[in-house]
Amino acid sequence: MLKIIIPTIMLMPLTWLSKKNMIWINTTTYSLLISLISLSLLNQPSNNSLNFSLMFFSDPLSAPLLVLTTWLLPLMLMASQHHLSKEPLIRKKLYITMLTMLQTFLIMTFTATELISFYILFEATLVPTLIIITRWGNQTERLNAGLYFLFYTLMGSLPLLVALISIQNLTGSLNFLLIQYWNQALPDSWSNIFLWLACMMAFMVKMPLYGLHLWLPKAHVEAPIAGSMVMAAILLKLGGYGMLRITTMLNPQTSFMAYPFLMLSLWGMIMTSSICLRQTDLKSLIAYSSVSHMALVIVAVLIQTPWSYMGATALMIAHGLTSSMLFCLANSNYERTHSRTMILARGLQTLLPLMAAWWLLASLTNLALPPSINLIGELFVVMSSFSWSNITIILMGANITITALYSLYMLITTQRGKYTHHINSIKPSFTRENALMALHMTPLLLLSLNPKIILGFTY
Amino acid sequence: MNPLIFTTILMTVLLGTMIVMMSSHWLMIWIGFEMNLLAIIPILMKKYNPRTMEASTKYFLTQATASMLLMMAIIINLMHSGQWTITKVFNPTASIIMTSALAMKLGLTPFHFWVPEVTQGISLTSGLILLTWQKLAPMSILYQISPSINLNILLTMAVLSILVGGWGGLNQTQLRKIMAYSSIAHMGWMTAVLAYNPTLTMLNMLIYIMMTLTMFMLFIHSSSTTTLSLSHTWNKTPLTTTLILITLLSMGGLPPLSGFMPKWMIIQELTKNSSIILPTLMAIMALLNLYFYMRLTYSTSLTMFPSTNNMKMKWQFETKRITLLPPLIVMSSLLLPLTPMLSILD
Repeated sequence: MLKIIIPTIMLMPLTWLSKKNMIWINTTTYSLLISLISLSLLNQPSNNSLNFSLMFFSDPLSAPLLVLTTWLLPLMLMASQHHLSKEPLIRKKLYITMLTMLQTFLIMTFTATELISFYILFEATLVPTLIIITRWGNQTERLNAGLYFLFYTLMGSLPLLVALISIQNLTGSLNFLLIQYWNQALPDSWSNIFLWLACMMAFMVKMPLYGLHLWLPKAHVEAPIAGSMVMAAILLKLGGYGMLRITTMLNPQTSFMAYPFLMLSLWGMIMTSSICLRQTDLKSLIAYSSVSHMALVIVAVLIQTPWSYMGATALMIAHGLTSSMLFCLANSNYERTHSRTMILARGLQTLLPLMAAWWLLASLTNLALPPSINLIGELFVVMSSFSWSNITIILMGANITITALYSLYMLITTQRGKYTHHINSIKPSFTRENALMALHMTPLLLLSLNPKIILGFTY
Repeated sequence: MNPLIFTTILMTVLLGTMIVMMSSHWLMIWIGFEMNLLAIIPILMKKYNPRTMEASTKYFLTQATASMLLMMAIIINLMHSGQWTITKVFNPTASIIMTSALAMKLGLTPFHFWVPEVTQGISLTSGLILLTWQKLAPMSILYQISPSINLNILLTMAVLSILVGGWGGLNQTQLRKIMAYSSIAHMGWMTAVLAYNPTLTMLNMLIYIMMTLTMFMLFIHSSSTTTLSLSHTWNKTPLTTTLILITLLSMGGLPPLSGFMPKWMIIQELTKNSSIILPTLMAIMALLNLYFYMRLTYSTSLTMFPSTNNMKMKWQFETKRITLLPPLIVMSSLLLPLTPMLSILD
């Protein structure tokens, strides 16, 4: 694992020592190379985990997330070039350093064996993200957004620390490789119910669950493009990853404790999808769509069947790529019109036809068109929730319909129709932007040829 | 002040604390406290104006009361045990009185009222000595009598201190008062674990002193005493804004900075001793502290104007040279990976 972590840490001296005209080139190239190294991790033995050392391991669940994380850093760097072009050199280097620090913590989080180490790194990802949102966001609301983000996450995760330490007290070790063999059923008592709650709430806030999702639209909208990308693609998946890891220790309480959260998620995914239909702010629409997709992941994780775990993992990877691509597209609009209002940038197909092609592909994958991996994820989740309870098919079907509705609404508003007169003078698409979209779309399309990689450890 | 006299007085302060920490006779400990108190009054009053006079008077009155209570507890202990050696305290009444006396010296709730007012009235350097060095002596006595302290009182004072330290700091813009409330909250954390594992109290004290030293030195460097003047540091030395950010986040207890280490160890020790609700409550109340640190970072480092701003700023005559600032900053932010080394403290 050090072959990935040390180069990522070394990206920081690379930025500080690069010349002025080489910072973007150096960092993007080397982070792309690091992501190529991480691709070798996808070669997983089928049922077991790949243990690198006592402290790092990767298994079929964390390897795709790790590859997604390392793939995203060069994309984030490419996306940030435009809005940072007018900043002084030191601030550009600081920004890249923040992104690199975040990347290091994320890589270590996804490969941590010891659960307390996972917790520390999970919390450590908050600091660079907070700095990116509050320092480089664009509106005054970003301060409030940063505070909401920090305090929602911390309130949820402090009980997790106490819960992890008390589990360590009970079982003697929190090393994940050991716990999966020692696992015994938790005795039925009030304190174990609170233990279940303490363990899960941190990840519920991070996902986010419908009732606790207030921080997400604020944080996603106010963050700069790299912040939005990394939050939508990876940080939300930290919650899903944590839940998938920790539910192995929490039986049998999950069978009855999961009900409130299942109800909230099932109802919440429809509510947030419906809110998307009424949004005027483009980034806010994509943020609420993230909440809706993640609610599906929560439902899948709480049902705890092999098919639902496969669906959750596939959905996390697919949504990461799709959501990040949608944020990049929204940002390309924002950089031209300096406004996030959808109707101010409509009819773009006539002016930027290639970008319209990317918009089309992104919207189609967002609404889970076959044969994309989005569909595989959603389909597995729908099927497993139908087997859990027949009635959920109504809610799931309604959700898929509304998702299709708002994705097409977003596509048609921004691309079709007559363009407005005030956007006659926007710049044409840069090659950098087209490359960015292509680099998002290519893994998404290629994975539909071999989705076995992203189906997780229950395949 | 005449440098010779100033050195003598400073040495007396040091000597007083040393006598407290190294004596085995209760009377010598009391003498050490009195020496410390009498010698620090001139240091608190380095600038001669009514504000410092008021602050010094308040400090003197509270500390003298505490010393008298300490003396009473010592005498009761003498009556019941017949000897002056400092071991555990032999009588519950004496133990309660002694705990209250030491709490008054440290500034724990409900005896915390003097801390913000005294810290605000004195200069930054004196405030530094007040909030770091002066805590060492009472804490060492608490460490030595820790087996016989009434657990109820100790935990109540600790939890209330964390609450008051968090809540009281919310409405402050003066930096010295913010540091005072932060000190109250940190003292609460330290005393909470005293009955379970006093070594962690010492660890928390060490890291707290490092972080407070760093914060005060950064304030002295930009000679800022209010949030407004702190927000101008980006004009003078932009690097200090980043350092202030890192140190404040460390004081708030955010991983991966070293301020997280004492909180984590304390929560671990408390949970291992089967008290679960208490550390959860303490951890959540520490978030109040984090809120006003975040507010400071917002005005200092996270919102910056793109060009030099056009407002009145304090004139800076010369850049003060602060010794030991880089090592302090490194120690107050990067020590978390060294946590496994704590096993040497046992």
